[in-house]
Amino acid sequence: MSYFFQIVVSGIVVGSIYALAALGMVLIYKSSRVLNIAHGQIIAAGAFITYFLTVSIGMPIFFSFIASMIITFFLAMSVERIFLRRLIGEPIISVIMVTIGLGSILDGLIYLTPFGSENFSFPAFLPQEPLSLGGVSISWTQLVGVIITFILIGLFSWFFKKSTIGISMRAVSDDQFASMSVGISVPKVFGLAWATAGLSAAAAGCIIGNITGLNFDTLHAFGIIVFPVIILGGLDSILGAVVAGIIMGLIQQFASGYLDGNFGLNGTGDVMPYIILLIILLFKPHGLFGIHEIERV
Amino acid sequence: MKTKKSLFLNALLILVIMFAFTASANAGGKVYKLGLSLAITGPTSDAGNPYSKGVEDYFKFANETKILGEDTIDCTIRDDQYKTDITKRNFEDYMDQGIVLYLNYSTGSTLGLKKDFEEEKIAVIPASFHRGNLENSNYIFLPVASYSEQVISLGEYVANNHKGSKAKVALFLHPSAFGRGPLADTEAAVKAGLNIEIVEVVEHGKDLDNTAMLTRLMSKGVQYVISQTVQSPVATMLKDAHRLGLIASSFGEEGKITFLGAHYTGGNDLIALAAEASENYFWVCSYNLTSENNEGTKQQLALAKLYGRDEKAANSHNYANGIMVAQVSTEAIRRVKAAGLEVNKANIYKMLNGMNGANAYHPYTTVGPVTYSPTDHAGVDMLQIYAVKNGAFKKVGVPIQSEYMKKIQ
Repeated sequence: MSYFFQIVVSGIVVGSIYALAALGMVLIYKSSRVLNIAHGQIIAAGAFITYFLTVSIGMPIFFSFIASMIITFFLAMSVERIFLRRLIGEPIISVIMVTIGLGSILDGLIYLTPFGSENFSFPAFLPQEPLSLGGVSISWTQLVGVIITFILIGLFSWFFKKSTIGISMRAVSDDQFASMSVGISVPKVFGLAWATAGLSAAAAGCIIGNITGLNFDTLHAFGIIVFPVIILGGLDSILGAVVAGIIMGLIQQFASGYLDGNFGLNGTGDVMPYIILLIILLFKPHGLFGIHEIERV
Repeated sequence: MKTKKSLFLNALLILVIMFAFTASANAGGKVYKLGLSLAITGPTSDAGNPYSKGVEDYFKFANETKILGEDTIDCTIRDDQYKTDITKRNFEDYMDQGIVLYLNYSTGSTLGLKKDFEEEKIAVIPASFHRGNLENSNYIFLPVASYSEQVISLGEYVANNHKGSKAKVALFLHPSAFGRGPLADTEAAVKAGLNIEIVEVVEHGKDLDNTAMLTRLMSKGVQYVISQTVQSPVATMLKDAHRLGLIASSFGEEGKITFLGAHYTGGNDLIALAAEASENYFWVCSYNLTSENNEGTKQQLALAKLYGRDEKAANSHNYANGIMVAQVSTEAIRRVKAAGLEVNKANIYKMLNGMNGANAYHPYTTVGPVTYSPTDHAGVDMLQIYAVKNGAFKKVGVPIQSEYMKKIQ
């Protein structure tokens, strides 16, 4: 039975990290209907900035983590200002193409630094001994990762539901022209969406980097790995990202734990999330929590 | 009129200067062009980056210390970001420049360009040790024993040192030709009598948690996991195994798992990534390591210091890997020259094929000699097993050579 619970715990841990990594994409989509293909590069940048501040500047890791989120906040805001602001009103496909190009530019910039081609790891700052309860164990890295994930997701949920700016962002997402007519600055909202996405990406990068080590190839791949999570969750729903992330994490761990190596199967942990995604989308094409819009013509 | 005269004089002066420079360059000896295409950025660049530095530094050293007399090697190094289409473009451009020897990198591009190498009849030394590179190929020379030989050697080490009934082994592979390469050969070795049981073959993804996989392997009685991949997934697996208390504190400890791996799974990066979870990780490699001080590693570190490399690159086994490939290339050219032959593709190929017996080449970077022949294009056949002890890779026994590889070839 402890095997079952161990897999449940692992699934929740992996799933909540997926949710955090997906959060940035959801935030941008929620306000601007744009899928940011360069999200993985921002995740990696956040992790490398934290490493640089901790190891090269000598800042305590907690402050590096906060500073990296602030830096990535402004970095993502600048990216929006420089590359995407002038595309407001243009077809969405043009904006998505720009984010693909942006990914290549960020790749190139990171390749110019040692972070583009070497492995690094954060200095150990958490106890190395795992926490164990009833035969189920979880490392401090994982536990802290899950806690940070839920704190951030809680904060963002509150922000979108209760704060004026958050409500403005939702309004822009619903209808840009109507929002402008009531005095909401659409460009500012877009900038803020990118900035908050950058902030959450930095947090995700640090948590993933602390688990896998800092390798650019591995880190930026998470921008793509979380795609099924976003689609399953419904693209523009924070709650959807959390639920879908945990579902994906659990499916992955259960498939790996119970199917792989049995019945002649292998690699189901990687494939099953996509199979389940396809099945769910057959019945709920807008994802679990996506808004089903009806256009009247 | 005066202006015309001064223009003519200036042009004449430029021509004289150009002629003088050309003449002095020619007087300095011949220049042999080589090309290297590899991943300095992109996937696997953690290995490609120090590798390129090793190649660059040794050729610079060879030219400055006049290993080839007045002649020099001009090796152009280009980044292909691990993309075969870019590698092909680089290779074609190098061929247009008239290279006499080509250095390649990845398994995918080596397999993909195999026919091109045959058509061009040019000797190629890749950084990939995939045995499939040698099938239906005459011109590819692996620097060291293949991945298959490395994994089978680890299997032999397990079979020879395991206490109790047949050892249960799982293979942890990279999901690519590079990772899957040794699987069929290892299964063939088991059929030929290698006394291990392959219980499961796992192809990893970008996993954040390997708990399910590790506990599943434990439930099947797996005691050894042999990895053929890169460092990052191995480090994540080791950290999870450490958290679950599954890592054997000594080789073959009952009820625990002993982790082992081939060339690209180990090295200093693995220790940095996995920290204390890397203790007792067994690794096979054909290179001397700087954590084991010897004449070879002293020369490696001196070379790195001479060209201002940082400590990380200097101590990387992939830096040694790059130096070694440049050493073999330089030595082949030197031998062509010493035989009084013209340095060209055909004669370098001939000289590499003759690098055996009394003519075997002993680079300072490897644990054994480079021995090529027309029927054997795997360079260094000797493999050294290392294990992490107190945060550094240390030798375990003397260099070995796989018995079962010979049986299945």
